Amino acid sequence: MTELSQININQTVKPIIQVRNLSKKVNTLAGELPILSDISFNVKSGESVAIVGASGSGKSTLLGLLAGLDATSEGEIHLDGEPLHQLDEEQRAALRAKSIGFVFQSFMLVQSLTALENVMLPAELAGHTDAKQQAMSLLTKVGLEHRLDHFPSQLSGGEQQRVAIARAFVGSPKILFADEPSANLDTKNGHLIESLLFELNQEKGTTLLLVTHDEHLAQRCNRILHIDGGELIKDSSGTRAYAG
Amino acid sequence: MQDKNITPQALWVKLAFRLFFRELKRGELTIITAAIALAVLTVLTLSSVTDRIGQSIEQKSNTFIAADRKLGSAHPLPDEYKTKSKEYLLKTADQIFFDTMLFANDNLQLSSVKAVSKEYPLRGELIIKDDLTEQANDYAVKTGPTPGNIWLSESVLYALDIKIGDKVELGAMNLIAQKVLVEEPDAPFNIFSASRRVLINIEDVPATQVIQPGSRVYYAMLFAGDEDNIVSYYKWLKPKLSENQSWWGVKDKQSWLSGSVNRAEKFLLLAGLLGIMLAAVAIAVSAKRYCENQYDPVAMMKTLGGSRSNVRKIFVLHLSLVTIFAIAIGLLFGFALQLIAVDYLSQSMDQALPEASIRPWFIAIATGATCALMFSLKPLLDLFDIPPLRVLRRSLGDSIAVSKLHLLLSALTIFSLMLLFSGQWMISSILFLSSAALVGILYGISRLLFKAGRGIGLSPGSSWSLAIASLQKRASANSVQLVSFALAIKLLLFLLVLKNDIINDWQSQLPVDAPNAFLVNVTHEQLDPIENMLSAKGISTTGFYPTVRGRLNAVNDELLARDYSEQDNEKKDEEAKSGIGRELNLTWLTEVPSQNEITQGKWFDTGVTGEASVEEGLAERLELKIGDSIEILIGSERFNAKVTSFRKVNWSSLKPNFFIILSPDLLSSFPATYISALHVPKESKKSLNVLLKTYPTITMIDVDSFIKQIRSTISQVSIAIGFVLVIVMFCGGLVLISQVQASLQERMQEVVILRTLGAKGRLIKLATLYEFFLLGLIAGLVAAIFSDIALLLVQQHMFELAGKLHPMIWLVGPLIGAGFVSSLGYFMIAKTLKKNTSDLLRVLS
Repeated sequence: MTELSQININQTVKPIIQVRNLSKKVNTLAGELPILSDISFNVKSGESVAIVGASGSGKSTLLGLLAGLDATSEGEIHLDGEPLHQLDEEQRAALRAKSIGFVFQSFMLVQSLTALENVMLPAELAGHTDAKQQAMSLLTKVGLEHRLDHFPSQLSGGEQQRVAIARAFVGSPKILFADEPSANLDTKNGHLIESLLFELNQEKGTTLLLVTHDEHLAQRCNRILHIDGGELIKDSSGTRAYAG
Repeated sequence: MQDKNITPQALWVKLAFRLFFRELKRGELTIITAAIALAVLTVLTLSSVTDRIGQSIEQKSNTFIAADRKLGSAHPLPDEYKTKSKEYLLKTADQIFFDTMLFANDNLQLSSVKAVSKEYPLRGELIIKDDLTEQANDYAVKTGPTPGNIWLSESVLYALDIKIGDKVELGAMNLIAQKVLVEEPDAPFNIFSASRRVLINIEDVPATQVIQPGSRVYYAMLFAGDEDNIVSYYKWLKPKLSENQSWWGVKDKQSWLSGSVNRAEKFLLLAGLLGIMLAAVAIAVSAKRYCENQYDPVAMMKTLGGSRSNVRKIFVLHLSLVTIFAIAIGLLFGFALQLIAVDYLSQSMDQALPEASIRPWFIAIATGATCALMFSLKPLLDLFDIPPLRVLRRSLGDSIAVSKLHLLLSALTIFSLMLLFSGQWMISSILFLSSAALVGILYGISRLLFKAGRGIGLSPGSSWSLAIASLQKRASANSVQLVSFALAIKLLLFLLVLKNDIINDWQSQLPVDAPNAFLVNVTHEQLDPIENMLSAKGISTTGFYPTVRGRLNAVNDELLARDYSEQDNEKKDEEAKSGIGRELNLTWLTEVPSQNEITQGKWFDTGVTGEASVEEGLAERLELKIGDSIEILIGSERFNAKVTSFRKVNWSSLKPNFFIILSPDLLSSFPATYISALHVPKESKKSLNVLLKTYPTITMIDVDSFIKQIRSTISQVSIAIGFVLVIVMFCGGLVLISQVQASLQERMQEVVILRTLGAKGRLIKLATLYEFFLLGLIAGLVAAIFSDIALLLVQQHMFELAGKLHPMIWLVGPLIGAGFVSSLGYFMIAKTLKKNTSDLLRVLS
């Protein structure tokens, strides 16, 4: 465990994410291959954290584990007080529906649904009957009130990612995971998306965990976790101060 | 803006409907909908049209017995039979047959009298003319003579030397000769009993006082109505039938027509089965593709917190909606298509087709639902297992291959559908297993071909080298495509060639100079002068055969029971062996007739005594073995003959054929008459009246109208077969489209990469064209090989045609394959090629 991560674990504000000795191994023809080894850190509620590292360092695997998309091999993850490592797939899905939002590099919009319907989707899956109201409000927030009935293929990349962000904030999740949110966009649109993410993070008090290669983006976060060879090698502060 | 009309639990229903309508609008469901709809359409149209054509052909054929079924007996038939038939909504008519002497103008003539009720004929028409003058034209009527009148065949009028309007004495009654009887629907081709026929009203029979105890009389009751009702009625009737009562339909008539009807039915059945097989393959391919397209939405839904059960409910409902919609579309178009087809066929045949039953609708819906369920089951289960992590690792789930379970389920489904459609285990099993073997062999061959192709090196950057590289890269997917292409092309070639062979065979059996008349009742003394007379007129004959009428009474001293009916699938379940049920025409010959072939045993040696040669179908029916003894009854005389050979008889030939031929010693002492078939040119017909006037005891039977009817049936069946073929071709086309569609995404990615690397549009277009060209060429070649082998087997074993190879399709197959597949593939890819790279990237992302 690194010096810096120990400092963070010992912070007094109750963490919304607690990771203890997390490992992930995958089976290959050559035997077990470790992807992540003995990772521990905490994330406080409302904090913005960037996970950075080279390609293949294990940052996306870490994101997947934190979001409950994949099962851990060893170690513990507590998410919003729930022991994620002990939950089965259905329970993890229920937890995601309740507490987590996502933004992906490739937007991951359902092509056959309109912008509005894409944003409504998580709320409907969670059984919210006010899904449409929430979705319209969020799409207005991201400046797409005039694109409600457009299909993803009719939207630009930046617009698609704004729809994805609106979708991520439906249901007011406590934690937002973002996987390279601006990587597929040009600089202008990339900055717009990043600003939108941080704005909503601040406004709604949502905890933001994002994986990025972009040093500039990482620096805009409260903290930066550096992953290399499946290990957390450094936990540093970003330029943005945590207002906890 | 809260949706108050819907509970949170039911949101998945709303989501499923939304997904369905959106995907429908975006055209994402087109291929799977088209595949299911086409399967439904194929089954509905084929079943309806073949059902209606089958009924029509049968009805038309039934004119040959003037009814749908006939019940006959040497004794009066109980009234109960007729009374009961009314409950089954059947129409009935009565007939009484007897031979008696007619007197007129001091002449007397032995004649075969048929007394009929006013309902006769139930099917077909009577052809009559008003007098014997050359100006008199034939015309059709729907009922027989009224009481007090008699209709006489031309030969009887000549023999009695009377004209229309004269009195004719029949037993104790005087009748007026009212019309010349030209043709009766139920006796057009019974050349042995067709001599000297007269028709009277059945109400006159008692007054004639001809029928006395011990008289040789044959009673018949005719039935017509809905086929299901007839079958139900026969179920009631069967246990009541006594041994001397025979029930039969047109299929029991060993005639040219029954052979044609059976062959046409087999073809339509075969084509229907192949159509279903193709449509099923199209559904299987598109269902898998459909499920693969849902991988991302499912992973996304799971990531967004959708529970497995909700995802399952959403997609099961979604697929159900797709299925219901596709079935509805299929039924709608199927109904319209069969209306158009039936209208066209009715016009071509100049006859309204009977209504189809409900069964085609049932089979069509069952086919659509079963296909959709069974072919999507495994892909759907795979879909539910898609891990949510796919949102981060896009390749997760892509490795889900076609599992053995899916293959097994799909194969079982196809077999079940074939069975449901045909209702026949044997034909379904043969077709299914042979196709499965073909698929296995083809898959192996194609893998080897693509593997071997790796050694081929062409200059990098050429269209051909790109095409070959593409083929090799997608070896597995291409093997599946190749198998589908080959299967579709094979089935199409197979049907196309079989159709031509069947129709050619029919046509060749009815050459322009086929016999169109028979001379019967020729005595030994008349042979030479008649032959001379005919040859002077340039009329050719098949030669003269001696005939003696007799009954096959017993086999190995075991008496034979009454006949059974093939029409209603009646089996030989009685303890006693079934006989022929009527008198046979026996002949004696020293040489095997030209249209006969000895299949077992040996033909009579010179000077043999007491031997018999039996037609193989009759031998099989009576379970005869070479060496068995058969007892023949002629008049009151009985004698035995030893069966020494079985013969295959070409019943399709319009020549005299015999069930039993005896060695000359057995029959030569009985009084015999001679028969011959001859081709009389139309212009010579009238001049043959001289022959009839010179030899009034001879009868000439004109079968021109019978041949005309056969030709019309052939053309009717040919149209039907052509129609079925077009539908099956649509199914084949859909298989090809769904296969190309399945590889479209990957191809688009390649186009993007190649474009990004600076490849010119022309290079990519040609590479695509060549790739499909090679695929089609190989598929066409293997399809041609396999279809010719299959044709060889099917022609010989199923259609009793002479098996032959078709070198032309070895050339045509690859050309059609290459041409069709490359144009189709190119056309589908062309749209992609028109888009610019950034648009493609957006679509792909």
